[in-house]
Amino acid sequence: MHRLTMAVAVAALLTGPILTAPTAGAGTVPDTTYTQPSVPAVPKVIALDCQGTTGNMGCGPGWFWRDGWRGWACYPC
Amino acid sequence: MLTAKTLAKAAGACAAVAVAATFGGFGSAAAQSGDFNALPVDPNLLTDSLAYSAAPFIINPNGQQGVEATYTHREGGTRSITTSILLYPNEQAAIASLSAAADQVAMPRKTAAAVGANGNLVSGMTLNGTQSTSVLTFNQGNVATTIEFDGPANDPAPEDFVIDLGKKQDTAILDWQGV
Repeated sequence: MHRLTMAVAVAALLTGPILTAPTAGAGTVPDTTYTQPSVPAVPKVIALDCQGTTGNMGCGPGWFWRDGWRGWACYPC
Repeated sequence: MLTAKTLAKAAGACAAVAVAATFGGFGSAAAQSGDFNALPVDPNLLTDSLAYSAAPFIINPNGQQGVEATYTHREGGTRSITTSILLYPNEQAAIASLSAAADQVAMPRKTAAAVGANGNLVSGMTLNGTQSTSVLTFNQGNVATTIEFDGPANDPAPEDFVIDLGKKQDTAILDWQGV
């Protein structure tokens, strides 16, 4: 009987911290504050050409093809 | 009475004057030919080669020795480039003539331009406010050059284009001067 009592006591000592850990902090109030990420006021626009594509004649983003001072060429939007 | 010795002295003096004039007495004008037709640089050299058409050159505009060339863009004539190359008796007169070249620019923004000597670029609007205008001025000795770019109000001539054409024009003038 004594042995059984000792075994139960040892088992209780070993498993006690594990079983009670999740509830150990249940009564405390978290001291970290959650900050909501800032939302940009204006939607971010990725500049493509003036038609919203990657550009006619291979001009690439931010440029478009027109007949300007240098004749037909890529010009900035 | 003229003697052989006097004639020899006179001939020697004439030779000395001729040598002095040849080697610097008359300045850069000595090497300049009177043919101005090949002097203006066609802006199509900087484009797709078909953008501008030239009006007949005006030789000696307003009685001033030189040439004026006007190039009009094919896109409805909304853009034009006018090159004026004028010869003056000396460099001081050429520089002085350029000071008033940008008087017809409203809201002017003046910057130095690395073109020729005394290069300047004045950008703004035409006096009536309907068009953009950029005026590039520079000189090479006694030759004063003005290149005016008139275009839509919302599409002024790009500065790099203005400078590129100015540099080509400067090179053409130097070649013409035989420098």
